[in-house]
Amino acid sequence: MTSLEIQAPEAGVPARWKIPPQLLLIGPGIIFIIVTLLLPLLAVVVFSFWKTESYELFMDWNLENYWVLFREPAYRVFLVRSALGALATSFICLVYAWPVAYFIARHGGRYRLLLVLLLAAPFFTGVILRIAALQGILGPGGLINMALGMVGLQPIEALMYTPVAATLGHVYLFMPFMVTAIYLSLVNFDFALLETAKINGAGPLRAFVEVTWPLNWIGTAIGLILVFIPCLASAVTPRFLGGPKSTSFGMSLSQQFGETGTWALGSAMSVVLFVVSCAIVLLMGFTINPRRSGFTGGRR
Amino acid sequence: MTTYGAVSGVEYRKWLMAVALGLLYIFLYAPIAYVIYASFSEDIVWPFPPSLTLQAYANVFNDSLYGDALINSLKIGVGSGVLSTLIATAAVIGLLRYPSRYRTALFIVFLSPLFVAELLIGISSLAFNARILGLSGNIFSAIAANAVEGVAFSFLIILSQLVRYDWQMDDAAMVFGAKPLRCFWEVTLPTIWPSVFGAFLISFILAFNNLEISFYNLGAIPTLPSVAWGSLRFGLGPELFAIAAMTNALVFTIFALMYVLMRTGIVKFGYRGT
Repeated sequence: MTSLEIQAPEAGVPARWKIPPQLLLIGPGIIFIIVTLLLPLLAVVVFSFWKTESYELFMDWNLENYWVLFREPAYRVFLVRSALGALATSFICLVYAWPVAYFIARHGGRYRLLLVLLLAAPFFTGVILRIAALQGILGPGGLINMALGMVGLQPIEALMYTPVAATLGHVYLFMPFMVTAIYLSLVNFDFALLETAKINGAGPLRAFVEVTWPLNWIGTAIGLILVFIPCLASAVTPRFLGGPKSTSFGMSLSQQFGETGTWALGSAMSVVLFVVSCAIVLLMGFTINPRRSGFTGGRR
Repeated sequence: MTTYGAVSGVEYRKWLMAVALGLLYIFLYAPIAYVIYASFSEDIVWPFPPSLTLQAYANVFNDSLYGDALINSLKIGVGSGVLSTLIATAAVIGLLRYPSRYRTALFIVFLSPLFVAELLIGISSLAFNARILGLSGNIFSAIAANAVEGVAFSFLIILSQLVRYDWQMDDAAMVFGAKPLRCFWEVTLPTIWPSVFGAFLISFILAFNNLEISFYNLGAIPTLPSVAWGSLRFGLGPELFAIAAMTNALVFTIFALMYVLMRTGIVKFGYRGT
């Protein structure tokens, strides 16, 4: 119990045996992240230099896995395809999520929380069921094409087992993340600044470009990352919506740990995926200017 | 005249954004409506023209597989939700309350799981557990692995509300002799509870329905997503649609309740206006 007393205002005396309270608060989280995220990722990095033989990993240091990834053009195609798909999805989500998040933050009033929760509620239905339902709506025998057929129109080929359908699936799955990230930034944004901009003669567009957008860039960047990263690794969606020409990097990667059982090669693929993800995060990180973030650093 | 024009411009944009929000809800809920509809139909592959039945619902309650899967999913959801919320709340308070020169670095550490895809979290913890620790799939490693993501999301949600929190309220409470824990329960928590609740809810949902992390951590233990995944090969069972429909019914009952509470102003859920 003594450790709790350190925060009391009279505790000016140097405490010898007391753990600093911030360590007590932050420590468990740090240990948790190290044990459940950092160590497993390090293990994967190590395994990527090992070998798999008859479904067993064994220690035999080599670069063969990376050489395979470099040599076989298929892996490059998967990676580029996944990256392009992720870029397209991020862009669509960015453009659509901004007005939506802005509306909830600015005009949602007392129902703001409910409006945001409505974006999260679809997650109560599993990804697979929602993808299957999307397939039921978009696919050849699906709602849209059947309705078109009844009116006597041609079915929309682009929606059936194509990369377009896979991208639509990704937009469907990840749009809520983007809206929520921008919303969380906008609720902390002082809209009075827009009045100031207006008084100083800025039109709505200029006020947006020079005030709202830069001051909410961190939230937007987090949103972009939250959409891009899972899209890049996506395995389930392209498999069911994308058709034969949509084999993604994630699909191939999960196969290494599933059907084919080549864990070492899969580990190397994981490392590649992780490095690309990190590069994207760093790239976004460089665009963040803390002085124009609107974040004043806690205590105020 | 110009003032009038400007006002209507604002109104115009407001309505346009409202329409965008409405269309997004329709897009998000169309597949869910489809799931609910299909759960009542006799043939879920060709559910048109409608021919309705409650067979799927009867099957859910008769087949123990779905019950087990539901219970396992709930265990993972609640376990991971509680774990994530506790860790994240403590971490946010620790980081915001006490100045530290490592603050930015520590923020990045707690947000770092967001930058790692679920597939990677699942696969790396599978490889780590199986090869380094020699553990086979179990529910605790699934809870922990799911909480990795949960911690990051909870951290983000709680942080976004706590940056506006006035710590002088805590100082005031302590001047009057409140111990830190009591101060948290009686001053901090009543103010920040909507974000703590939101953090729990989000980490619960993510873990409850997670396929990729749970799948690699659980081995043969069934959860709702893994049963769905397994049954895809033979075509999805309508029972899964029925479970989803019942979950949605529960969620929307809660939302309707929240709406009534907000409407009447009994509970404001953190909203400070009138």
